[in-house]
Amino acid sequence: MELEVTIQRYLPEQSSEPFNQSYTVPYDTSTSVLDALTYIKEELDPTLSYRWSCRMAICGSCGIMLNGKPMLGCNVFLRDYVQTGMLIEPMAHFPVERDLIIDMESFLTHLEAVKPYLISKDSKESVQSFDPHNQTPRQLDKYQQFSSCINCGLCYSACPQFGLNPEFIGPAALTLAHRYNLDNRDAGQAERMPMINSEEGAWSCTFVGYCSEVCPKSVDPAAAVNQSKVTSATDLIFSLLGGRS
Amino acid sequence: MSYRPTLTRTWWLKNTAFKVYMLRELTVLPLLFFLLCLVKGLYSLSQGAEAWYLWLAVMQNPLVMLINTLALLASLFHAWTFFQLFPRVMPLEFGGKKVSAPALVAGQWAGVLAVFALVAWLFWG
Ligand code: SF4
Ligand code: FES
Repeated sequence: MELEVTIQRYLPEQSSEPFNQSYTVPYDTSTSVLDALTYIKEELDPTLSYRWSCRMAICGSCGIMLNGKPMLGCNVFLRDYVQTGMLIEPMAHFPVERDLIIDMESFLTHLEAVKPYLISKDSKESVQSFDPHNQTPRQLDKYQQFSSCINCGLCYSACPQFGLNPEFIGPAALTLAHRYNLDNRDAGQAERMPMINSEEGAWSCTFVGYCSEVCPKSVDPAAAVNQSKVTSATDLIFSLLGGRS
Repeated sequence: MSYRPTLTRTWWLKNTAFKVYMLRELTVLPLLFFLLCLVKGLYSLSQGAEAWYLWLAVMQNPLVMLINTLALLASLFHAWTFFQLFPRVMPLEFGGKKVSAPALVAGQWAGVLAVFALVAWLFWG
């Protein structure tokens, strides 16, 4: 069986505009889009560039737009696109460097900005200390879902608010901030709140909700972002009353 | 060397999820009309009987009734989307146990029914 796969190419040394190129790829029931890209690169066109690593939806490097929807290339199969055909484009809302390779810098900066690590109550007594930090199943349950993120960035390609304003901290980073705020071992919420409360923070989200639809790990970033609006509002009320900040 | 794609004004036509989102946000328009009617009604009430009856007549205009029916449907649709999202945004616990999402959604609709019943009792009871 063969399927025609169209890929949006961008070769800056040849042209300043992207263009589409089609390839005919043999497939069976287990051929993923990532396999198809590898086949094209190895057998048809060695100039094609794309990212990948694990081939099993865990490293988060193979994000693409497939017929306009953000997806992991290794997590989707040609057999399901026989009727519709296939257009593969680089992940939306990010600058494109070459073919399917995007510049993830803004995403990484946002991730870093939310201090996504345990901040201990007493900075001298670091969380890295050898003392055990026991947690009950119930304490774990509070944030576990939000800790399954693989940083693939698909939710950013699904988020029109990020598309309109790349300064928006965005779904995955806000989810990560919320994940640490919900962790009973963490005491860093006060440090994260100014960023969450800011214009680029949770309130830029208008609950389009598409981020949660495309997330390959069922993290439900839209829920986390909107839960942190509740935290943000509570935080504001407390600070107006002169209580904790 | 990299190129930066920009969103066009029609970005929301790109997929169904965005269209449904826009529809949800658009429900504000007929609701705005209803609110203006309501404010005008209150104002007319303060201006005496003549103004009030004039307002009542305007409210019975088929076009006005049509838009207000649309406002009712729009607000029910908006409520439906909101109720659906609520359990994800405000997960509640009761007696140390998570309240299930369907229970939370049902609770909210029960609230709507209660308000309808109260209004019906006030006006027709
Ligand atoms: S929240 Fe989901 S879609 Fe977003 S980066 Fe994490 S795993 Fe990917
Ligand atoms: S190659 Fe690792 S997630 Fe697809």
